[in-house]
Amino acid sequence: MQRSVQRTDAQVVRDVLDGDRDAFRLLVRRYGDVLHHHALRMVGNQDVAADMVQQAFVHGFRKLGSCRNPDQVGGWLFRILANQCRDHLRGSRRREVPLQALPELPSRGTDPSDDAAEAEVRRRLRAALEQLTPEQKEAFVMKHLEGLSYDEIAAVMNLSVAALKMRVHRAREALRGLLEEFG
Amino acid sequence: MSDDVRRYLDGDLEIDALPAEARAQARAWDRILEAFRSDDQARSAPHWLEDRVMAEIEALPEPGPVSKAWAWLLRPQPVRLSPALVGLAAALVALLILRPGGEAPPPMGDGPEAAVVYVQFRLDAPGAQSVAVGGDFDAWRASHALEDPDGDGVWTGRVPVGPGLHTYMFLVDGFQWVTDPQASHYSDDGFGNRNALLAVADPET
Repeated sequence: MQRSVQRTDAQVVRDVLDGDRDAFRLLVRRYGDVLHHHALRMVGNQDVAADMVQQAFVHGFRKLGSCRNPDQVGGWLFRILANQCRDHLRGSRRREVPLQALPELPSRGTDPSDDAAEAEVRRRLRAALEQLTPEQKEAFVMKHLEGLSYDEIAAVMNLSVAALKMRVHRAREALRGLLEEFG
Repeated sequence: MSDDVRRYLDGDLEIDALPAEARAQARAWDRILEAFRSDDQARSAPHWLEDRVMAEIEALPEPGPVSKAWAWLLRPQPVRLSPALVGLAAALVALLILRPGGEAPPPMGDGPEAAVVYVQFRLDAPGAQSVAVGGDFDAWRASHALEDPDGDGVWTGRVPVGPGLHTYMFLVDGFQWVTDPQASHYSDDGFGNRNALLAVADPET
């Protein structure tokens, strides 16, 4: 009899812990895109982002037995990835990124009329994001790009909602100042 | 930025509830945030990522017989032990006296529920945002947070642990499992890492 493909996350976790390693593939399929979206927004490089996601999944596999709520394993994996991205940015930060030195990231590919002025705007936005602290960037990305609620972000970042709101506020203020500075 | 605009951006106020001046600021912020969203770099995971993850997982070593035995012995569900195995475990407990951080405070209370020892755990982890200890005694939930009140990077905490032989590790910043460098004995976790071993004697014997 064909096994149901609709196994719950908790069932998948149980199967993996019982020795069915290939069942972990279901979690990669379910959460790979979400994790990759976040990693790419945080690190801005597709190769690095893919590496981060791979590390997060492998780490999650190795420590799956410590996942407290197997039915929320997606959030648990996301938290692992978020921590890795934050650490990565902490390690690669502490250097000023000149505006002109930022890599030209791939365009979205949907607008053939993407002209130099628009490219310049994108460059400034990315330069401003790069200047935030890793914690500010993470909070801003989750709130304003990923649309997570403050409760959801607070759970990932292990912060109170009040502290998180202050962090997002400071990120916005820093971005405004940077965008003004960049002209 | 006014408090009203801030509350609007946080989703706590509708734009119609703002005074005219604040509304103009809010719209300016909407344009800035929309510019960021329109530049969103997010893309789906590359198609090869799944296979690459699974290849790395498949390459991890299978738990060895010793690790499997540990996993079986330390499984949180109730298990039936033969008298011989109980005797072996008791002998191991008697032989191994492991005290993380060099201190095992006396047990508290004297009722049947008090058959635990409060063990002092310690980890030097400067730069960590959080440290917790987890092991078979809490089903590896890392539910006991350590504290660093003076910010010197030394995290400590007292955790109730029942008598017996236990494995544990530290969970740093919520995701990184770290082996206790101060433990006297270790066991492989089956994936290339080492769990620290902790033996807790029954305080009533």
